[in-house]
Amino acid sequence: MKTRIPSGMPDPRLSPRRKFLTDLAALSGGVAATGALPAWAQTKSTKTGTVRVWGEPGPYAGVAVDAMNEWAKKFAPGIAFKLETLSWDSVYVKLMTDLAARNPAHCISVESPIAYQLMADLLLEPLDDVVQKVGRNRLVDGVKWEYWGAWKGKQYVLPAHHQPHLLVVRMDVVNELGLGNPDNWNWDDLRNAARTISEKRKDMAGISLALGRNLCTDYHFAALLHSAGGRMFDVANKYQVVFDSPETVEALEYVKSLQPYMPKGAVSYSFLEVVDSIVTGRAGISFYWGRPYGRAAEENPAVFANLQSFNHARHPKTGRRSNWNDFQGWCIPRPNNQYVEEVKAALVYYQTSPEWLVRYCHSLMPNVSPVYKDVLSAPRLQEHPFFKTKRETIMNYYVNSLPNSSSTGNELLKGVNPLAGVVHGRSILAQTVQKVVVDNWKAPDAAKWGARELEQVRKDNLRLLQIA
Amino acid sequence: MSPSTDWRVADNRIGILFIVPFVVAAALVFMVYPVLESVRLAFYQHNPLNPDASVFVGLENFRTIFDDPLFWQSFRQAAIWTGCSIVLQTVIGVLLALLLHLPLRGISVFRGLLLFPYIVPTVVIALILQWMLNPDIGVVNWSLRGAGLIDESIYWLATPNMAMLSTIMLNVWKYTPFVTICVLARLQTIPLELYDAAKVDGAGPLRRFLDITLPQLAEVLVVVVIFRTIWTFNKFEEIYLLTKGGPGTSTFNLAIYSFEQSVASLKMGVGAATGVVMMLLLFAGSLVYMRVFRFASEEAE
Repeated sequence: MKTRIPSGMPDPRLSPRRKFLTDLAALSGGVAATGALPAWAQTKSTKTGTVRVWGEPGPYAGVAVDAMNEWAKKFAPGIAFKLETLSWDSVYVKLMTDLAARNPAHCISVESPIAYQLMADLLLEPLDDVVQKVGRNRLVDGVKWEYWGAWKGKQYVLPAHHQPHLLVVRMDVVNELGLGNPDNWNWDDLRNAARTISEKRKDMAGISLALGRNLCTDYHFAALLHSAGGRMFDVANKYQVVFDSPETVEALEYVKSLQPYMPKGAVSYSFLEVVDSIVTGRAGISFYWGRPYGRAAEENPAVFANLQSFNHARHPKTGRRSNWNDFQGWCIPRPNNQYVEEVKAALVYYQTSPEWLVRYCHSLMPNVSPVYKDVLSAPRLQEHPFFKTKRETIMNYYVNSLPNSSSTGNELLKGVNPLAGVVHGRSILAQTVQKVVVDNWKAPDAAKWGARELEQVRKDNLRLLQIA
Repeated sequence: MSPSTDWRVADNRIGILFIVPFVVAAALVFMVYPVLESVRLAFYQHNPLNPDASVFVGLENFRTIFDDPLFWQSFRQAAIWTGCSIVLQTVIGVLLALLLHLPLRGISVFRGLLLFPYIVPTVVIALILQWMLNPDIGVVNWSLRGAGLIDESIYWLATPNMAMLSTIMLNVWKYTPFVTICVLARLQTIPLELYDAAKVDGAGPLRRFLDITLPQLAEVLVVVVIFRTIWTFNKFEEIYLLTKGGPGTSTFNLAIYSFEQSVASLKMGVGAATGVVMMLLLFAGSLVYMRVFRFASEEAE
């Protein structure tokens, strides 16, 4: 039964988190002192109009745009930054159609593989000058500027955050069933845990992964592929396709072996459905970024209290625990962009303000990890209430995940690959997975099919790679 | 011819003169140019991100699609989706029209409500249906479980066959009213004397339906079925919004295939070639329609 809160009284269930965010919002006027800004960020502009900014769903892009508008208020009163939020599964379509129409937003934040594709296609402005102003030595340990997007010696993407998916576990269930410490699991232990939960808890799927034809499936599968030591392309060898491999087959067979312990609807799951299954308590284990914590805290405190994230289960032979880490940043499309200098100045303004950057991280804890040392060590960052109960999980997302970082655009951190954006546009990894889990193909045949598709992508896009 | 008639004719001509430029301009901009551009693109390799690097490739794009098993799978699925949708729409549409033709009190309210599915935007319907068909929290499974008809959730959009069935259901729900309205309009013009005469001759309801109603409806049904077939075969938004062509590629039709080639694979030429093939199919359908319509007119004369 719901309890009525007398009017005027603070709602105790509303969470220190919401109250904290409310308090934080109150800080919004002038968090960055103009005097402390680099001269370059104080560039004045007399231009007028709306500067369109693309960001993924979530409050953090809104915080960044608030910061940019604070800059505009001070230095370019004729312009306003306006956020256009694009859902992940439609971002590629929107981006490509707008670019094809030569009408992209003036500043965008997209998934890193897509940014890499745009960068190699020379559709982005180089940002080395901005990096210089922001501070080249500020990055947290374990990352490099190129992870966000550097190509042929130029930096095209400015860091916004890094964002790994990890193993999200319902610890109450795991403890109740005596499944051990998830931090010590290997693939076999993970499968055993998923099976046990499925068998013992009739109200709950053992594990919830995305298996639909979408980006989320691409990212979930990529982590398993990389843990097994497999890759799509060999960057060091002219981007040759290396997907038709025993490692791919092993990863596909592993997904197939987990399928009986997933919700039946998983074959159409994307990001939202996986979050739903975690937050509503319908899954014992999942792979996910930090997003479910915020929702669970507000919608299902019992689930929130028992959620914990770990680095992924180790591959039994390689010992790898690869995650899919989105080194997501800000980039400036070149076509028809009359606001390049204004966007650069606004980015410097916001990126040199630890207050705004802390606020950015706080807006959806622990989904967007800080990328600058001064932000990570800022006492204010740790004032978020989640730090009281979820410190270990937060630090797993923020710091401890970094040695296991990988992504489709930078497989096993062996080099940036602009072909990954095209691969995601066509959902080739997800389609390969679906050949196995929906169409019941044998894993080796699916791997061969995927390799053929990737070969076609390589062939069609040799111009991006500038190789013969 | 009186002077006043001359003035009226002149007015009509002036009116037409005013309208013609807009009609012609609209036709050129919104119909002729896109069609011609699409046909042109079908012969080019064209990446929308590098429009200046287009290359003429002759029939290569057509070869690509005809060699692609996914094209043929999409074609097959489009045929299944269209065939099932049209049969169900026609049968349900005629039955509903017969019901709404009954002289009952308040029937006009139901006739008005009939338009509802037809006027609601497809995107709204698709999103609502996604929630309704959600296997865990959807009202459809909840109702079926409540009625004791199922024990386990049905995965309406997550298994290939059920996803196809769901897209067909959406199409049938949305477009059956079109069939019903057309048939109802025709029913209201059938002379009642025919039924009276048949009754006098001892014909029962079924006999009257088969020997009077159905033949009278034949002409309108042919037109409706041909139109609906053409429109359904080329439908994009219902399938895309509901299943995005999945799971796997189990609900792909040619429109989705064309979109995937153009936008996801950035192969505008291949997408355009698919569009040209669809256009030819549409053209063939139109020829059938015109021939049937002419036969029907000749018979009437």
